[in-house]
Amino acid sequence: MAKKKRALSSYITKEAFSSIFKKPATQKYPFVKASVAEGFRGKQIFDIEKCISCGLCARDCPANAIEMVQVEGKNRPLFHLDRCVFCYQCADSCPKNAIQPTAFFELACIDKKTLVMKPEPVPPAVKQPT
Amino acid sequence: MTQNEVNIVNLLETKLQGKNVQIQPAQLGNATIQANGGTHRDVLKTLLDADEKTAISAITGLDLGQNLGILYHIRTAKAFLTIKAEVPKENPKIATIVDLIPGATFHELEVADLFGVIFEGNSLSGHFVLSENWPEGVYPLRKDVKASEVKLNPAKNVEKSSENDNVVKIIIGPQHPALLEPEKFAVTVEDEIVTKVEPRIGYVHRGIEKASESRTYLQDVYLVERICGICNAIHAASFVETVEKILKTEVPPRAKYLRTITLELNRLHSHLLTLGHACLEIGFDTLFQYFWRDREPIMDLIELTSGNRVYSSAMTVGGVRRDLKETDIPKIKTTLANLRTKIPFYKHTYESNSSIKLRMQNVGTLSREDALKLCVVGPVARASGVDIDVRKDEPYEAYGEIPFKEITYTEGDTWARMNVRMDEIEESIKIIEYSLDHLPTGPFRVKVSRVVPAGEAVNRVEAPRGELFYYVKSNGTAMPERVKVRTPTFSNLPAFLKTAIGGNLADVPSNFVSLDPCFSCTDR
Repeated sequence: MAKKKRALSSYITKEAFSSIFKKPATQKYPFVKASVAEGFRGKQIFDIEKCISCGLCARDCPANAIEMVQVEGKNRPLFHLDRCVFCYQCADSCPKNAIQPTAFFELACIDKKTLVMKPEPVPPAVKQPT
Repeated sequence: MTQNEVNIVNLLETKLQGKNVQIQPAQLGNATIQANGGTHRDVLKTLLDADEKTAISAITGLDLGQNLGILYHIRTAKAFLTIKAEVPKENPKIATIVDLIPGATFHELEVADLFGVIFEGNSLSGHFVLSENWPEGVYPLRKDVKASEVKLNPAKNVEKSSENDNVVKIIIGPQHPALLEPEKFAVTVEDEIVTKVEPRIGYVHRGIEKASESRTYLQDVYLVERICGICNAIHAASFVETVEKILKTEVPPRAKYLRTITLELNRLHSHLLTLGHACLEIGFDTLFQYFWRDREPIMDLIELTSGNRVYSSAMTVGGVRRDLKETDIPKIKTTLANLRTKIPFYKHTYESNSSIKLRMQNVGTLSREDALKLCVVGPVARASGVDIDVRKDEPYEAYGEIPFKEITYTEGDTWARMNVRMDEIEESIKIIEYSLDHLPTGPFRVKVSRVVPAGEAVNRVEAPRGELFYYVKSNGTAMPERVKVRTPTFSNLPAFLKTAIGGNLADVPSNFVSLDPCFSCTDR
C-alpha cells in the first residue's frame, strides 16, 4: 500500500525533476520575438489606390472603429485602431480587397491618438525603374 | 413533426383539456404553449409530473407594446418547450413558479429587474442585476427606455453589520483575491461554518442584450462573442445558429465540421484553464502552472486556425469565415496527441495527491435531487449524476455524426466536477480528430441576406460551462428586435449557494471555482 502510494505521488515529483533539465516553457518576449501563425489578424494595411469609397467597411464595423473622411474630395476610411477589435470584418466586406492583413501586433503605446490610421492621399504615380 | 413532438403534444392535450391553453407544435423548440391567465403553472405541473428532468432553461421578457410577454423556456429529458404568457404593462403581475421549480428564482429576479414584471409569491425582492442607485420605475429592456436618458440616484451604502458576536457577515467581492471577476457574495458565518450566502450580480453588466438591438445581425455576431472571453466561439455559434433558424438556411456540411472543431478547441482550452484555476484556489500552484503550460499549445492552435489567440471570430451567418488549410491538419493532430500523453499524469495527480483529495473531495456536495431541482447545467449537473449534454440530447452542428462519450460522475463534489472536465478533455480530442479525419469537402459558407424575415427562434448549445441558451426575435429588418442570452453560470449559481451552506469558509473558493464561474457571461 505504502509502495503504491509513493508510486502514484511520484508522478508530480517526476514531472518537477524532469522540468529542471528542459528548456523553460516561457519565452523571453521582448528579447526573443514572438512568432505568430500565418493568417494572424494584426494591424491592417489600407491600399487607397484600390478603394472605391463605397463605405461598406465603415457600415459593417462592429466596433464603430472606421470613420469615413474626405481625402482629396473622396470618402476614405480612417481606422481608429484603439477601438478596433481586429475581427477583420472590414477586410471581408471590402469588394476590392483594399484592406489587407499583416501579422504586426505590437500596438501598445502611451498615447492612443497615435493609433489612428489616416488614409494617405494617392501617391503621385511612381515611375517604374527602367 | 417528430415522434417526440407528437408524444409531448398528445400528453399536454389530454392532461390540459378544458384549460385555456393553445399548443403549437414545432415552434420555439418542440412546441409553444400559449398559456394566459395563470395556466402556465398547470402546464408546468403536467410536465413536472411526466418527467423528473423537467427544468427551466430561461425566462425571456418581451416588450410587446401594450403588454409584456413572458416566455418560460422549459427543457425536459427529450424535448424543449416554450410557455408563452402575457401580462398588461399597467399591471404586470404573474404568479411565480419558484414553488414548483426552485431553480427559477434568479430567472424571475432578472426579468423583474429588467422588465418590471411582478412575480407574485417570489419572496426575494430588490435589485439583482441593476445597481442599487438605479432610478425607481425605469426598466431598461423596455423599448421606451433610452440608455442615454437614464439618471442614476446618488450611491448609498447598504451593508449592515450583524449583532451576534459569533455570527459574522463576510463580504466576498466585488474586489477579492479569490474572485477574478467582480461579483459580490455576502457570506454569513457562524464560527467557521457558512450559514447563508447572498449573491449580488451585475457588476459587469454591459447591457449587451439592449446594445444588440441597435446593431445589425452581422455586427451582433462579434458583439455576442464578447459576452465571454473564454467561451467566445460558442456564443457566436449559438447566435448564428439561431439566426439561421429564422432564415431557414442550411449550413454546408464542411462548415458544420469546421465549427465543431473551433468549438471543441474552445472547450479544451476552457477546461484546461479551469482545472488549473481550481489548483490555484487550493494553493497548489505547481499543478496550476503545469495545466497552463499545456494549455498554451491549444491557444496556438486557435491562432493557427482562426487568426487570433482568444477571439476566434470564426463564425458568421451561413457558415464559417475561413477554411482550414490541408497543411495545418498534421500540426493540429500532433499537438493534440501531445496533450493526450499528459492526461494520465493529471488524472493520477488528481486521484492520488493528498492536498487535492483533502481540499476537493466531499467539498460542496450537490445531490442528484438538488441538481434536478435547482436546474443546474453542464459539468455541474453531470458530476451529480444528471446526464444532460445538449451535444447528445439535441445534436447541433456535426455532433450528431461524431461518436463520443457523455461523462457523468455520481459523487457530486468539487472533485467530481473537476474530473468531469478532465475526462471531457479526452473526448474533445477524440471529437476533433474524428472531425479532421471525416472533414467533408465543398463550400464552407453560403451567402445569406442581411435582412432577416420576421420571426423568432430559440437555440441551445453546450458551452464548456453547460447549456447556453439564445432567443432571437426578428421584426423583418437588418437589426434584431430582441436577443436573450442565458448563460450557464447564471443557471449554476444556485448550486453554489446551496452547497456552500454548512461548509467551511475556507472551502468557499474551491467550491465556487468548481462551477467554473464566468461573471462576464452571467451579467452580459
